[in-house]
Amino acid sequence: MFKTEEMEINLGPQHPSTHGVLRVKLHLDGETVVRCVPMIGYLHRGVEKICENKTFFQGQVWTDRTDYVASVSNNLGWAEGVEKLFGITVPRRAHYIRTMLTELNRITSHLLWLGTHALDIGAMTVFLYAFREREEILSIFEAFCGARLTTTAFRIGGLREDIPPGLEKQVRAFQARFLDCIEEYETLLTENRIWKKRTIGVALLNAEDAIALGVTGPVLRAAGSTYDIRKVFPYAAYAEMDFDVPTQTAGDTYARYLVRLEEMRQAHRIVNQCLDGLPEGPVMAKLPKVLKSEVNEVYHAIEAPKGELGYYFVGEKGGVNPYRMHIRAPSFINLQALPKMVEGRLLADVIAAIGTLDVVLGEVDR
Amino acid sequence: MTPTLIQYLVISLLQIVAVLGFVMTLVPLLTFAERKVIGYVQVRLGATRVAGGLWGAQRGRTHQSRTITGGLNGFMWWLGKWPVISILRGLPMFIADALKLLTKEDIVPTDADKAVFVLSPALAMVAAFTVFAAISFSPGALFYFPAKFPFLGGLPFNGFLTDINVGLLFILGVASVGVYGIVLGAWASNSKYPLLGGLRSAAQIVSYEVPLTLSLLVPVVLTGSLNFNEMSTRMAADVPVNGLVGIGRSLLMFVGFFVYTTCGFAETNRTPFDLAEAENELVAGFHTEYSGMKFSFFFLSEYASMITVSALASAFFLGGHYLLPFGLQPAWNHFFQHSPYAILAWTCTPSILWFLLKIFFLLFVFLWVRATLPRYRYDQLMNVGWKFLIPYTLVMFVIAALLRYAA
Repeated sequence: MFKTEEMEINLGPQHPSTHGVLRVKLHLDGETVVRCVPMIGYLHRGVEKICENKTFFQGQVWTDRTDYVASVSNNLGWAEGVEKLFGITVPRRAHYIRTMLTELNRITSHLLWLGTHALDIGAMTVFLYAFREREEILSIFEAFCGARLTTTAFRIGGLREDIPPGLEKQVRAFQARFLDCIEEYETLLTENRIWKKRTIGVALLNAEDAIALGVTGPVLRAAGSTYDIRKVFPYAAYAEMDFDVPTQTAGDTYARYLVRLEEMRQAHRIVNQCLDGLPEGPVMAKLPKVLKSEVNEVYHAIEAPKGELGYYFVGEKGGVNPYRMHIRAPSFINLQALPKMVEGRLLADVIAAIGTLDVVLGEVDR
Repeated sequence: MTPTLIQYLVISLLQIVAVLGFVMTLVPLLTFAERKVIGYVQVRLGATRVAGGLWGAQRGRTHQSRTITGGLNGFMWWLGKWPVISILRGLPMFIADALKLLTKEDIVPTDADKAVFVLSPALAMVAAFTVFAAISFSPGALFYFPAKFPFLGGLPFNGFLTDINVGLLFILGVASVGVYGIVLGAWASNSKYPLLGGLRSAAQIVSYEVPLTLSLLVPVVLTGSLNFNEMSTRMAADVPVNGLVGIGRSLLMFVGFFVYTTCGFAETNRTPFDLAEAENELVAGFHTEYSGMKFSFFFLSEYASMITVSALASAFFLGGHYLLPFGLQPAWNHFFQHSPYAILAWTCTPSILWFLLKIFFLLFVFLWVRATLPRYRYDQLMNVGWKFLIPYTLVMFVIAALLRYAA
């Protein structure tokens, strides 16, 4: 007579809100998700293998193309990883400039997340507001290194150039109005009943599960953990900076939203401190023309906007390329939490969960 | 002077053309307004020019301004230099939109149920447009044909098509046929995303029809009529003398307006209730498989029902053809009816202008809300409908009955 069956539906790889080419295979019972399987690999370019065939200087260019909305962060991870491998000491001024740019980059990444996440839940306007500010930061990057998205901002051993004249003024102009802009996003969302209904208690992930799944970054901190590599294993100039690590305990989409907004405020604070305390001096260490590695291995992790971004290098005797290079990509590992978050929930929550995980497919697939 | 049958038919035909022309012009203009309003809310300009050449590429032409669209775009560039009228840039967009939809390839999926697939957009559109038969844009005659006018001399040209005594019932009945267009179209597409969209929309529209109808029962009870003209005039201007009853009635209309508009948003599938076509979840919802003219039928019907909802809200809650909403007009008239200033005295008389202004304002609210609010989830939408709106409307209904009893 009548028979019921689960409907299998492919969310993606071409779908308005999977943020790239993520394909999620869903088994639906009505609108309830019974099983959720993320299928990845549509954007795989073999970045790790390619980097093994590039010199330590050239490889950084490829890191721009993993998490393409946070390329400065990736550059920092690569540069510091290689510096650790060769034991290079970077001048203090370069550290400050690196920290400032990386924090600005954290703001752009979070702005992109905020805009697309709100757009997925149906609030279209925040997207355009967020992009207005993101545009300004991208102009700052452009003034600094000539590129807006694929920055390759740093060099092994420091920076290629000091900051250009006028950049400080540009950054200060942005800093002066950015806090008001966050207020503006908050008026549209934070106390909005529909926004709260769509995010509170949605895509829950408690700290235990998050740690078991290797989830890091704002998703982990929204579940109550205070793990932030900038505090735990300080790098660049973070040891000298005064900032808080925002945490929430609820572990839901709304908590992650609050954590990321607060992170933007903290990033704003750090940028101000970098500008105020910018030391004088050179920006580049003395380096040999060719870097030849010993047999050595190094893992260097930084707190990227999405979570713990680790670069793992293995050097061979006299090699100018990394013998093996691996990226611990936060998006890839955070995506593992998706089935845990949405199974048993409604289809609309899958969209919210993908948004709140803040995955970038360039980094997931590499 | 009573018209002969032929005269009556000719006049009716003219009126039908006028109303349909009004709606069919308003809908494309509404899409243009949508681009502009949402654009300005989102700190951008919206459409400012149209693309491409009308006759393909600019073959044999060297300069862009020698094509029609090139010339238009040049003109709009110039228009952008002026402060206020620069908002009109991109106005040709609504013609371009229509042309695009007309010339798009019409795709019927192989596995679709072809007959139903073709019929359902027509069903949705017919339902959305037939409603205008009972909507009155102006209670009396708009103008009389001059005596010397051939064949029609001395006859009135009314602001409404029909003046049937069950107007509201007709509107609700016909409008609810529209959901069949959506559900059948979604089912006939034989595709997964439209199926989900269609199911959502079936549940949503069927459940929101209950509070929608209940909230419209308030004016029905208060006026004791189902005739559109009579209801709107009485709701606006015919308030009982008893002060307390009058205040209660105004308050009830104030609350009723918001409840009705909320249901109207759900009934027309607009944000924050646009689950049936939630593009971030269901790609395009029930009309995912539709293209070209068939898609534009759904599109037209959605915008036409937005106009319907706005017209009903402004007629029954916002004072219709009078200036002031919520039954405040009699108080206003009391002070200004015999005012020596002609303009103040004029605000006491009914006019089609007020009615149209209210419709336009409500249409603006539709766009404004779309730019501001996120979207409800499916189950939350059902909660809002069944757990909040229906009890509210029932309470309103009882209060309306008490007021009627007291008056």
